[in-house]
Amino acid sequence: MGTFIQQIINGLSLGSVYALIAVGYSLVYSILLFSNFAHGGFLVIGGYICYYTLNLMGANIWLAGFAALIGAGFCAVLTERLAYKPIRERTSVTLYLLIASMGMSIVIENLFVIIAGGRFRALPPVIPTAPVDLFGLATTSAFDLLSLAAAVVFLGGLQLFLTRTKWGLAIRAAAYDLRVAGLMGVNVGRLISIVFFVAGLLAAVGGIFLSVRYTLYPQLGAITIKAFVAAVIGGLGSLPGAVVGSLILGLAEMLTAGFLSSQLRDLVVFSLLVITLIVRPSGLFGKDIKEKV
Amino acid sequence: MKKFVLFLAALLVVTLSGMAIAADTIKVGYLAALTGDWAAYGQTERNTAMLAVDEINAKGGINGRKIELVVYDFRGRQEDAVNAVRRMIEEDKVAAIVGANASGINIATAALVNKAGVSQIGTVSTNPAVTVDRNGKVRPYSFRVCFTDPYQGKLIAYFAAHELKLTKGAILYDIASDYSQGLREFFMKSYAEYGGKVVADEAFKGGQDVDFRAQLTKIRDAGADVLVLPNMGKEMALIMKQARELGMKEITFIGGDGYAEFMWEIAGEAMEGSYWINHVAPEDPAMAKFFADYKTKYNDECKEFVNGILGYDAMYWLFDAIARAGDPTPANIAKALATTENLQVHHAVLTMDEFHNPKDKDGVVLIAKDGRGQFFTKIKPE
Amino acid sequence: MSNYTEGILILLMINGIAAMGVSLLTGFTGIFTLGHAAYLAIGSYTTAILTLDYGLHWLPAVLLGGTLAMIIGYLVGLPTLKLMGDYYAIASIGLAESIRLIIENWQSVTNGARGIPGIDTFTTLPTTALFFVVMAYGAFCLINSRIGRAFKACRDDHVAASLLGFNTPRYRVLSLSISAFYVGIAGGLYAGFISFIQPVMFDMLKSTEMTSVVVFGGLGSMSGALLGTTIITLVTELFRPISQYRMLIYGLVLVLVMVFRPEGLLGRHEVGPALFRQLIGRHPAPQREERGPH
Repeated sequence: MGTFIQQIINGLSLGSVYALIAVGYSLVYSILLFSNFAHGGFLVIGGYICYYTLNLMGANIWLAGFAALIGAGFCAVLTERLAYKPIRERTSVTLYLLIASMGMSIVIENLFVIIAGGRFRALPPVIPTAPVDLFGLATTSAFDLLSLAAAVVFLGGLQLFLTRTKWGLAIRAAAYDLRVAGLMGVNVGRLISIVFFVAGLLAAVGGIFLSVRYTLYPQLGAITIKAFVAAVIGGLGSLPGAVVGSLILGLAEMLTAGFLSSQLRDLVVFSLLVITLIVRPSGLFGKDIKEKV
Repeated sequence: MKKFVLFLAALLVVTLSGMAIAADTIKVGYLAALTGDWAAYGQTERNTAMLAVDEINAKGGINGRKIELVVYDFRGRQEDAVNAVRRMIEEDKVAAIVGANASGINIATAALVNKAGVSQIGTVSTNPAVTVDRNGKVRPYSFRVCFTDPYQGKLIAYFAAHELKLTKGAILYDIASDYSQGLREFFMKSYAEYGGKVVADEAFKGGQDVDFRAQLTKIRDAGADVLVLPNMGKEMALIMKQARELGMKEITFIGGDGYAEFMWEIAGEAMEGSYWINHVAPEDPAMAKFFADYKTKYNDECKEFVNGILGYDAMYWLFDAIARAGDPTPANIAKALATTENLQVHHAVLTMDEFHNPKDKDGVVLIAKDGRGQFFTKIKPE
Repeated sequence: MSNYTEGILILLMINGIAAMGVSLLTGFTGIFTLGHAAYLAIGSYTTAILTLDYGLHWLPAVLLGGTLAMIIGYLVGLPTLKLMGDYYAIASIGLAESIRLIIENWQSVTNGARGIPGIDTFTTLPTTALFFVVMAYGAFCLINSRIGRAFKACRDDHVAASLLGFNTPRYRVLSLSISAFYVGIAGGLYAGFISFIQPVMFDMLKSTEMTSVVVFGGLGSMSGALLGTTIITLVTELFRPISQYRMLIYGLVLVLVMVFRPEGLLGRHEVGPALFRQLIGRHPAPQREERGPH
């Protein structure tokens, strides 16, 4: 029983980090209807900005974290302007965007291979990782609780932004129909920039936590494929879906590794993806996508 | 787009002119993972190999001929290693190849170098199959400068069960790595002979998995008192860190020669008190000059010192063989390497046995203490 | 000819066979795949296992590898090809990773993640050339046949195509099966060329690469796919000495092509007299449809 509770806790903590990344995928998808595979790159950018501001400028974690969030958000906007906007304006075929985003993800990863080298970097111990005993039932680290809290804070903040602000309203309108929102007087270019900025910012939060936990290296972005799977399971374009999908995926991974075999965990992840797409391509919470099937 | 094409063309010209062959030099290939997951080890090896080459050339080369180093990246992948070795042999016509630093890579390239008749020296490639084929016959052009996995597995088992008296063992190994699987197998065999019992035998997938809490939870609940880690640095560091986070305070970590100083950055406190079976010790006085020279040349500590020292001494071993070969053809060099006897390189005295393995090297045990790996003891199992 | 040059030529033709397979599906039927490395894996593993463990001659082994890839392509296509657009592309990622992970976990047969070394190097220049010529001939015949026209109809407007009486789901599955066969054959030849295979060689990056060379060359152009794969293969080999920049350049090329010329180098044109006439301006360019594959 203790082991079971422990694996549940492990799964939730993994899922909460996936959630931060998965909402970024879903957010971009809800507006532009394509899967932005460069999202993992934003996460790496955030991680490296945090690392260098901490180490070279001796900043504290709050300042470094702030710089990382803003920097990654800015890079996301830049990526959209340079690589996606020209394609968007030329054609409505989203698959070109998909391929361009894969290219961007390769570019970002290898830029860091060249600039920062392939070495694994560890962030200084700015986030406590001491073990915390949970009522004698299970042990988790202070880090897990903090990452869970950060996920809740940022996702809550996103929810407030979407429901309480003018731009949030515009984003939600655009998620129904981008063109109509444009006709209603929404500045579509700026709206898309804001969406990318928010997605990049959330990716950087995930990036900081991931690089504390798993160290920082140029290929760290590859882990976002799991978050992407979570976003699909929850329903691409749906934010609650992304969160629920992430938690399901985190639990599925940990329970498979704990009670079946650690070698099967990725197989379970990708089987869930395929099964979801066959049975219910719109995912758990997705909009009806009849026009897509 | 036009500018970009011009840029590509310019790069091509630079590349091709760089390949122009300088006469009278002896070319030595170096296979190193400069990118990918093993980049830290590979970049250090390249640096030390260049250091060795600079030193020998400053002395006028070997028999009046300078050494030219050809370094190719293999990204930590067999596929790229095969292509890189093929290119070294067929395009660059190297006299011999040093590297790689992983058994799986050397096994994958063994067919190629033995067919072409060009020697390849593994630096930390410890799997027996590196120098011996499936039928137990020695591969005539495959060599290594380190000791082998059966020997290393035995050292770990001996140290855990006999020296530390820890007999409830757990092992967490990398299913994607020949090195890790081989070490696990030989450890399990010897551990039972020394009276130990394996209570948990768990696996992960190197290069992809970064979260080990599920496996560690199982190991914790099995009540192991020692956790054996036959892996590469990054994974071992993450495992130790996550184990401590799960409240596994008492368990002792023993690892193999994948130890690297950069693990401290990742694992921090969790490293303290862990033991590492290894080939060399950084305190070895014979290596002091090497560390100083490395620092002067690269303005960086030689953190991955095992790879650094073994890569460096593999080069010196090769230099000696080239000098003894007379006419340095690949075949003569191979003969000279195979007949090496009582050769003093920096970290050890090398004598080749019939399977191209160095004979009877001592195992060094390092203990992780006060932020660095320190010499603990030397062992030779009974 | 040095062995190295010969090796590059062999690699070019193997990649060319795979590119024709992907082009048939992505360029001519309008189905984007991000998982074709799986069929490459099936072809090469089948060939390696049949030759090594069962002592089969390499020729039937390669053909069986292609056939198995085709069968699996068919079985996989039946439930998933009802998905359209990037939903199929996403599903293909999941399918390919699942297939790769099954190979990786099936230790007793595939030797797991450590891969299979010591495969007989049967892939010589003449055999590869023969395979290449036969399969290229087949591909060009196919795209100009009735079936090929049906594929193009599915690509250009699948609603209209089904109204015209084409059984579009059947043609989509057929296209995937033939495409998988081509890629499976390429995989078998690749195993005999590289002599060592392991699951990580067939990861998502490989799948992306296979699709992007086709996009780069021109969607809906067989010769474009071959041109694309030739350029990308040569660039990767030539840049080996500066390998740190290799992947960066590859990524940049991908983005730049999408931004400046999403229809690829040749668009839908084939290399031939018609293209030449058009280049010197004696023939008006055919009306280009900006719909793309939907």
